[in-house]
Amino acid sequence: MKVLFYGRLAEAIGPELEIEARPGCSVAELRDRLAAEHPHAAPVLRSKRARTCIRDILVADDHRLAAADTVEFLSPLSGG
Amino acid sequence: MSIVARLEEASLRPEQELDALIAQASGDGAVVSFVGIARSESKRGPVERLILEHHSILTQQSLDEIAVAAGERFDVSHVRVVHRCGEIAPGEPIVFAGAASRHRRAAFDAADYLMDRLKTEAVFWKREVGEDGSAWIEPTEADYADRERWG
Repeated sequence: MKVLFYGRLAEAIGPELEIEARPGCSVAELRDRLAAEHPHAAPVLRSKRARTCIRDILVADDHRLAAADTVEFLSPLSGG
Repeated sequence: MSIVARLEEASLRPEQELDALIAQASGDGAVVSFVGIARSESKRGPVERLILEHHSILTQQSLDEIAVAAGERFDVSHVRVVHRCGEIAPGEPIVFAGAASRHRRAAFDAADYLMDRLKTEAVFWKREVGEDGSAWIEPTEADYADRERWG
């Protein structure tokens, strides 16, 4: 499964990871695993302002992932 | 009703955007516009440049969604949002947000709404680069509270 990161998460973890994840695992489970493996990025991963996207659509924490999914973790947004 | 929502990688000329909006608004009574400009100083000291990272698809989608929502919510005839990405020097414009309407209140409200949503929901990640490296800039609690005013 490909995982992409943006903003300060990309700086902390890198822009892209290829990971083995159990098909059917939830976004929350994936986030917990990433937070455990990258503790310096955990506060941003767990921020209520961070967002998760699959195929350019925002998904909730209970969304179940397929093996072919690319998951995108967006750091808190800052436009304007 | 016309909606313009554009991502600019190279340069943003607010005066051209305002001229275009006024030209479109020939039958209207009001045009309100806001221009956000890169600051030369932050609490960390002098700012050498601002870097606005974006997403290849989600950024344009977010600009479209916010501009369309402003057009639906307020009694406006034209909405125009132009947002820079990439490297921006202090003093250069970052964003233009404008609206035209028959009466001024709707245009003021639409411009206010556009900026509150752009600050917190447009898909960008902002970094200030100064003498001692770079720092990520995120909305303040006041920015999020401003966004919440609109429900």
